Amino acid sequence: MAEDLNWAIGGEAGDGIDSTGKIFAQALSRAGRHVFTSKDFASRIRGGYTAYKIRTSVDQVQSVVDRLDILVALTQRTIDENLDELHDGSAIIYDGERSWEAEIPEEMTAVDVPLKSLAEDAGGAIMRNIVALGAACEITGFDVEYLDEALEKRFGGKGSKIVENNKEAARLGQEYVQENYDLDHLGYDVETTDNDYVLLNGNEAIGMGAIAAGCRFYAGYPITPATSIMEYLTGRIEDYGGHVVQAEDELSAINMALGAARSGARAMTATSGAGIDLMTETFGLVATSETPLVITDVQRSGPSTGMPTKQEQGDLNMALYGGHGEVPRFVVAPTSITECFWKTIEAFNYAEKYQTPVFLVSDLAMSVTEQTFPPEAFDMDDVEIDRGKLVGEDDVDEWLDEQGRFRAHAVTDDGISPRAIPGTTDGAHMSTGLEHDELGRRTEEEDERVQQVDKRNRKVETARNEEDWEYREFGDPDADNLVISWGSNEGALVEALEYLEDDGIDVRVISVPYLFPRPDLSEEIDAADETIVVECNANGQFADVIEHDVLTRVKRINKYTGVRFKADELADAITSKLSEEVPA
Amino acid sequence: MSSDVRFTDFKSDKQPTWCPGCGDFGTMNGMMKALANTGNDPDNTFVVAGIGCSGKIGTYMHSYALHGVHGRALPVGTGVKMARPDLEVMVAGGDGDGYSIGAGHFVHAVRRNVDMSYVVMDNRIYGLTKGQASPTSRSDFETSTTPEGPKQPPVNPLALALASGASFIAQSFASDALRHEEIVQEAIEHDGFGFVNVFSPCVTFNDVDTYDYFRDSLVDLQEEDHDPNDYEAAKKVILDSEKEYQGVMYQDENSVPYHEQHGVTEDMSDIPDGAPDGAMDLVREFY
Ligand SMILES: Cc1ncc(C[n+]2csc(CCOP(=O)(O)OP(=O)(O)O)c2C)c(N)n1
Ligand code: SF4
Repeated sequence: MAEDLNWAIGGEAGDGIDSTGKIFAQALSRAGRHVFTSKDFASRIRGGYTAYKIRTSVDQVQSVVDRLDILVALTQRTIDENLDELHDGSAIIYDGERSWEAEIPEEMTAVDVPLKSLAEDAGGAIMRNIVALGAACEITGFDVEYLDEALEKRFGGKGSKIVENNKEAARLGQEYVQENYDLDHLGYDVETTDNDYVLLNGNEAIGMGAIAAGCRFYAGYPITPATSIMEYLTGRIEDYGGHVVQAEDELSAINMALGAARSGARAMTATSGAGIDLMTETFGLVATSETPLVITDVQRSGPSTGMPTKQEQGDLNMALYGGHGEVPRFVVAPTSITECFWKTIEAFNYAEKYQTPVFLVSDLAMSVTEQTFPPEAFDMDDVEIDRGKLVGEDDVDEWLDEQGRFRAHAVTDDGISPRAIPGTTDGAHMSTGLEHDELGRRTEEEDERVQQVDKRNRKVETARNEEDWEYREFGDPDADNLVISWGSNEGALVEALEYLEDDGIDVRVISVPYLFPRPDLSEEIDAADETIVVECNANGQFADVIEHDVLTRVKRINKYTGVRFKADELADAITSKLSEEVPA
Repeated sequence: MSSDVRFTDFKSDKQPTWCPGCGDFGTMNGMMKALANTGNDPDNTFVVAGIGCSGKIGTYMHSYALHGVHGRALPVGTGVKMARPDLEVMVAGGDGDGYSIGAGHFVHAVRRNVDMSYVVMDNRIYGLTKGQASPTSRSDFETSTTPEGPKQPPVNPLALALASGASFIAQSFASDALRHEEIVQEAIEHDGFGFVNVFSPCVTFNDVDTYDYFRDSLVDLQEEDHDPNDYEAAKKVILDSEKEYQGVMYQDENSVPYHEQHGVTEDMSDIPDGAPDGAMDLVREFY
C-alpha cells in the first residue's frame, strides 16, 4: 500500500464543512490522486458537530482507516471527537485568535493560523476555511495550483472576483504557514500524477446510471440519505427529456412512478427507512400489475426514525419479503460506487425485461462517500438497453384473443407477458392489483388464480436461467477462509485483505450484488473451512439467508453502531472470528 | 384518434356487478360519452380508478387503465400524464377513496393542476365495505360504524378544491344524464385539473342522499345565471350550506396546466437503444 494521507475538517453544522472538504477532495483528484471521502455526523455529545474526511493516495483507496494526519479544527469538539484517530505526527490547524483555547495534545503539531483575519484580508471572513486549505497545502507540500482549479470549479459561476478572492485566501494561508512554521519534520510530500479522475458519490452514480439507462421520470419525497438522488436528477434529467416531481409523500411518489412506468416510461423512485414502509402497499400493486419499476432504497439506521444520518444495512428482509401476499421481485445491491452506476442500469433492464419491481438497495455509507475513478469506469458506450417484450402495431395481433382483446397478462412459458404501452392500437387493457385473468380483469377462479401466481413466479425461474447472477471476488480464490459480504462493505474488505496478508492469513472474499435472485454459494461454502458473513446490521439478515440457502451454519461479523466498517477494524474482526468455534 | 369512435367503444364486455340502480351506472355512461364527444378513443385514453364500488369503473370501461390501491389514483394519473402528455387521462374514484385516504393527494393534485380530469362518485357512504360513514356523510347519518352519526361535519370537497387553488370545480348528478355528460366534457376540455364531484346515489346503504333527494333539492347553476369565471360568485355557491348545486362552479380562465408551466412535453416512453447522446457529459461533470 502506498503511503496515504488522511485529512479532515470539522466544526459545527453550517460552518461550510462539506463544501470545503469537497473543494480539497476535488483539488486532490485534479492532481491525479485517488480520494476516498467520508462524513461524520457524530451524535455522541450533542447535535451540530460535523466533519468531512479525506483519505488520499496515488493508489486506489476504498475505505476509511483509523488515522488522521492533518485536521482542520474549527471547534474544540472537532479535536475531542477525533482524539482516537490522531497520532503523534498529526498536525492540527486552528484559529488561535478565536475565543476558544485550543487544547491540543502535546505530541501533536499545533498550527495556529489566524484563519478569520487572513480571510478578511482576502475579502471576507467567510473564506476562513479556504485559508485553512491553503495552510494544509503548505503542510503537505501539495501544490496550491490544484486548489485554484477546484476553486474555479466551485465558484466559477459566481464571477471571477469571488474566484480570485478565494485563491488569495488560500495563498495567505499557505504563506502564513511558510513564514511562521518549519514543518519539514512532518515529512509530507504529496505526489501527483497525470491521471484524470472523476470524483463522485454513490447517489450521484445512481442518478447518472438512471439517466444513462433512459429513466425519464422520477418522483420522490425528501428523506436522508436518498434525497441527493433527487437533487442530482433535478436540473439534469430535463436535458434528456425527463422530469422530476417532488411528491407530497412516498405513497404519491411511488404511485406517480408507477403511472409513468405503465405508460411506457422508464421510471424510478428512491427513498429510505420510513419511506420504504409507506411504499410497500403499492409495491404489491407494481408486482401484480407487472409494471416495470425501479425502487431505490438507500438504507439508513432503523427501525422507525432510528438514526437518520447513520449507516446500516438493515432493510434486506424488507426488500426480500416486504409486502403482503407473495410477490416476485428482484433485489439488486451495488457493492461500490461504480456498481451503483452499472447496477442501476441493470435494474432498469431487469424491470422491463421481467416486468417486475426491482429494489435497488444501497446504503448511507455509499451514498455520502465520494471516490475517484477513471472516467472510463462509467463508459456510456457500454450501456445496453433491453426493453423486453414490448409489442407494437405489428405484433400486437399475436396477443389478441378471439374477441380481439389484448392479453396483457397472457400465461406464457417463461412467465413474461407481452407489454403494450398506451397508444398501441388494439393494445388497450386494464391492469389491476386484484387477481386477474389474462386480460387483466378481476377473477377469483381457482385455475386462473393459480395460473397467474405461477406465471409471475416463473419469471424468477426464467431470470435465474437467463442472467448471470454472479458475485464479485477478491483475495485468494483457494483460501480456506471465506468471507461473504453485500453492499458497501466491499471496499473495506478488499483493503482488509492486505492487512490479513501481512499477518499471513489468506482469505477469499465474495461480495454479492444480487440478493434476489442470488448466486448459489453452496460450492464455495463447501470448499471453505470457515465462512464468515460481514454486514452492517445486528441480526445478520444476509447470514440468515445464506444459512437457509446452503443449510450450513456460518460465522457472522455485525456492526450496528451506525458507522461503516473500517479496513483495519475488519481485518482484526476477521482474525478473531477465525479462532472462534463455529456456532452449533 | 379516429373520428368514428362511439361511446360504446369505451365499454368493456364485463358486466358491472354494481347493485341494480346504483348511481355509478349513470356516472360511467356520462364519462364514456364525454370521452367520445371530445374525440378520444380507447387507445389514447388512460383511466385510473380508485378502490371502492366506484373504482370498479376501470373494469367496466375499455381503454388503457389501471385499478390501483385505495386512495392513490391521482398520483398514478399524474405520473401517466407527465410521461405521456399525448394521452387523455381520466381519474375516477369514490368519496372515501378521494377525500379520506386520498385527501392529501387530492389537495396536491389540485394545486399541481395537471391536465387531467377527476371524477368522484360521491355517494356519501362507503359502499364496497358495506355501509360505513364516509367523509361526506352528514354528521347525523347513522351507519354501522357511527350508530349515532359521525358527529363531525362533512368535508366539502368543492371548498377543499377551491382552497387548494383549483382551476376547475364542478358538480353533477348521475341521473341527470345530459347535464352530467356536459359537465364531465367541460372538465376534459379544461386546460388543467378538471374536478367533478358527482352525486352518485348508493341505493343499498344510503337512504338519505337518494335520487329523490337530489332530484328535489339540486339547483342547476345554468338556470341561476352563474358566471364560473367569477371567483367570488364561485365561492358563494361552494360555501352555501343551504343548497346543493350542479354545474361548473369555477373555472380559471387563465389556467396554465402543469406541463406548460414546467415544460414537460416529451413522450417519455421513447428512449434510445443505449445511453442518450451526450451522456458522457454527465461523467465529465465530475472532473
Ligand atoms: C389501505 C386500504 N384500506 C382499506 C381498504 C378497504 N376499502 C375498500 S373500498 C373502501 C371504501 C370505499 O369507499 P368510497 O371511496 O366512498 O367508494 P364506494 O365503494 O362508496 O364507491 C375501503 C375502506 C382498502 N382496500 N385498502
Ligand atoms: S353498494 Fe352502493 S355504491 Fe356499491 S354498487 Fe351497490 S349501490 Fe352502488
